[in-house]
Amino acid sequence: MEELIKKIKNSILLSSEAEEYLISISKDKIVPKGSILIRQGQTVNKIYFVTGGCLRSYCIDKSGKEHTLHFAIKNNWISDYIAIHGNESATLTIECLTKSNIIEFNANEINGMLTRFPELEPFQRDNLERLFVSLQKRILNQLQLSATERYGLFLEEYPNVEQHTRNYHIASYLGITQESLSRIRVEKAKK
Amino acid sequence: MKALQIIRYGEIKDSLALNEINKPTVQVKDVLIEVKAAAINPIDKLIILGNLQGMLPIPLPSTIAYDVSGIVVEKGDEVGNFEIGDLVFARVPQEQMGTIAEYVAVTSVAVSKKPGNISFEEAASLPLAGLTALQSLEYARIKENDKVLIHAGSGGVGSLAIQYAKAKRAYVYTTTSTNNVKWVNELGADRVIDYKTEDYKTIVKDADIVFDTLGNNYTLEAFELIKQGGRVVSIIGALDEETAKMFGMADYKLPKELAKQISAKEATYKYIFMQPNGSHLGEIKSLVEDEKIKPIIDKVYSLSESIDAFTHLASGRAKGKIVIKIA
Repeated sequence: MEELIKKIKNSILLSSEAEEYLISISKDKIVPKGSILIRQGQTVNKIYFVTGGCLRSYCIDKSGKEHTLHFAIKNNWISDYIAIHGNESATLTIECLTKSNIIEFNANEINGMLTRFPELEPFQRDNLERLFVSLQKRILNQLQLSATERYGLFLEEYPNVEQHTRNYHIASYLGITQESLSRIRVEKAKK
Repeated sequence: MKALQIIRYGEIKDSLALNEINKPTVQVKDVLIEVKAAAINPIDKLIILGNLQGMLPIPLPSTIAYDVSGIVVEKGDEVGNFEIGDLVFARVPQEQMGTIAEYVAVTSVAVSKKPGNISFEEAASLPLAGLTALQSLEYARIKENDKVLIHAGSGGVGSLAIQYAKAKRAYVYTTTSTNNVKWVNELGADRVIDYKTEDYKTIVKDADIVFDTLGNNYTLEAFELIKQGGRVVSIIGALDEETAKMFGMADYKLPKELAKQISAKEATYKYIFMQPNGSHLGEIKSLVEDEKIKPIIDKVYSLSESIDAFTHLASGRAKGKIVIKIA
């Protein structure tokens, strides 16, 4: 939790009362590899901040195949915002690809906190804007870049994640087949 | 719920019926699977024809088939390794047979999470044939650089055995007919032998392992091909004495000619009776996710067409597995 407090203090002035409250609604957790934090089809009211490890969010299509939406590493937030915003059951599954250190928040309590301590709003807005920017970039990259370029950006954005993932996690994140990913890797190794 | 049941022994058309039956209940160690897809195997045909009445007595009517993929919707009190909502696949044990149905209850030790990169239909095609391939080649202690002959490379078991053996970095010979040479080659076999134009006995020499999926003469001929101390595993040849004891045949002796061949080659011979096993299926899941093993599907039928699926199976012309999409 200390790391998150430090991160918040870097961007806003945090009162000791707000800090105390934030700590009171947070739960530090160490979760083993393979744990499922959110399961598609079930109720969601949790948001996670990652302080260590690697997580993946994915959806399962009607045929039963997984499609990776997002990876989360240190200092990233992860949840199923579609479900939380619309008060619907989860569209995504979130799994820990490694043993992970996370801070768990209840989405309603975060909202309550923002009402009580409006000084935290800019921090929250900044987080959401960053997430929005990253999603916009991801869509644009998908529309205009080659698979090789998208793979290069993935490696920049998520350094060291590759060692914890299976090929199909990355292939489905990039929207390509596992064969194409293998081919791109071979070409990259030759350069 | 709807279920495809065997109502009498005999011809396929007369022996199967789509019936409305009660949803199964879970015992403490079971999970209840909402079935998305089931697959059929040659053993199902033998059961329907009544050929296995002695070995596998089943009450009539019984829901048919063993391979399943789907979603866990209920679990018994003692099930710790699965949660409601998990996507799974299994070869169900004999006493829980009946996967061509809307739901099936399965002991959790026979179940594994489904590979994430393939569909329910593809996942359903894997358990029985995949476990047979894995357990046969593991019994034969397959290892890197072993020379392995796998008969009938285009069959359900053969096609997965080739891929498993290649994942273990063995050198693979396989036999198939002219029409199948190309795609069997693409599975990774090192030497595909077209049995219509070539004699496999002149090509395979000093093999470490022969995987016999054909029986008859092929079982005995395997001993001409293996090196001294080689291993022959069969899923269709004569029983070995240990397996016969397991089936309660205490006085069973190996056929004389087979015993002579085993002793001449100081060989190991084993009849493999596939066992449902969730952790072995977990190994298959990993190999599929790493694309070391790809499922091969001939055709997908709907539940209402499932009797046609059995007619197709009986024709013996399928290249890959026949799958029934339930939901």
